Amino acid sequence: MTLLASVSLATFLVAGLAATQFRSQPLPPSNRVARDAALRQSVNQLEDQNRTLKARVQALQADVKAGEDESARRSSAAQEVKAQLDEQKTIAGLTALHGPGLTVLLHDGTDPNDPADKSLGWTIHYQDLQDIVNVLWASGAEAIAVNGQRIVPSTGFYYAGVNILVNNASRLSGPYTVIALGDPPALASGVGNPDQLAELKSRNRIYGLGLSWLRSTRLGVPVYDATFLLKYAQPPG
Amino acid sequence: MLSRPGNLTARSQRLLVVSLIAVALGFLLVVQLRSQAAVARTLAAQDDTSVALLINDLNRANNELIQQSVALAQQQAQLHQALTSGGADSQAISKELITLREVNGEVPVHGPGLQIRIQGLVMDFELQDALNNLRNAGAEAISLNGYRLVGSTPVISRGDSLIVAGHAVGTALVLLVIGDPERLEPAANLSASSLQTRVQVDIQRQTDLAITEVVTPRPLIYAQLGK
Repeated sequence: MTLLASVSLATFLVAGLAATQFRSQPLPPSNRVARDAALRQSVNQLEDQNRTLKARVQALQADVKAGEDESARRSSAAQEVKAQLDEQKTIAGLTALHGPGLTVLLHDGTDPNDPADKSLGWTIHYQDLQDIVNVLWASGAEAIAVNGQRIVPSTGFYYAGVNILVNNASRLSGPYTVIALGDPPALASGVGNPDQLAELKSRNRIYGLGLSWLRSTRLGVPVYDATFLLKYAQPPG
Repeated sequence: MLSRPGNLTARSQRLLVVSLIAVALGFLLVVQLRSQAAVARTLAAQDDTSVALLINDLNRANNELIQQSVALAQQQAQLHQALTSGGADSQAISKELITLREVNGEVPVHGPGLQIRIQGLVMDFELQDALNNLRNAGAEAISLNGYRLVGSTPVISRGDSLIVAGHAVGTALVLLVIGDPERLEPAANLSASSLQTRVQVDIQRQTDLAITEVVTPRPLIYAQLGK
């Protein structure tokens, strides 16, 4: 009797669970898993393609530069233009640079898990990075990179959902490292000025965002990993 | 009445059934728990909307990179052709030089775009946000009240004054933005929507805007070439 009762109970539980599992198949949970997997796969494929395309652009840039160098060796007219071009490339971020500067570090803080606090102040927002970069330019920075992405004239930080993107959809994730080349005391003074980055510094105290900065005698910023294509702006004449 | 061997067989069969049911029960339980955990983990990291937006931005960026590759391949072919015929194509180099001067804000430019007039007090971070949105929408050249703005142009609030590239600008801001109006306008509207509770924003499409202001490049003092 005990055995039969056990069998009956187990059968009942199996039927119940099977029913739950069956119901969950066509409805949200497993569907969502499948959808998430498909979406994530798309992101991975597109990010692979993004890396491949950037590598292709950089390889072509190297080929073009080799052609320009050879042209400059053969022609004095080309040599003159090439010298000006190299200067413009440096300004535009198409050349890797090194020198003294400042490293600014920060990361997401601790979620207070406070229902009354819906500010998301414990996370780093793209505006925080944008504000740091702006203060560094104002403090005399000569070149800046964020997590290895060179800040160039066309750079804009933006959100795609919860992702912070920069420079042709390069995804940035914490911890964040902002490197600026320039006069280290001037850069540190700019970032340390209590009037600058006041909101970020306040959140740093509350949520522990790890905001800190460090002067260095030698830092490096990489070359921009793409190029510039103007379609609308035209020179006069 | 069943014999002892018969009793044993019946008991064995029942135990087998119970075991099978227990295995099935365990299997279903595990599947159930794992599917719930997977959903929770995925949702905790990234929601569908975020991933969909990321896909959209990656597609756009990849298309842009393809266009850059095509342009560079053409440039390379032009240089190569001149070199193989024994000469040198300084025109191809000049063309790239002009493009970079435009990018760096060192030459006047004209083209289609938007004129945005903002009447009222705007803080530095609000203008930064607006410039950021416009750059993300493909702005190719920007000026503000007679000053050319490039990526390294700092925007700072000092009290109620807005300091752009070291110059105080008035409370009526006029932004000229060259680029694709179809893409720029939604970006401008996005910024305007957050400003319009306090200030008046007027956005007008222009078929040909002229930005005559230029930036004087700062010489590098600390940064040196190379990694």
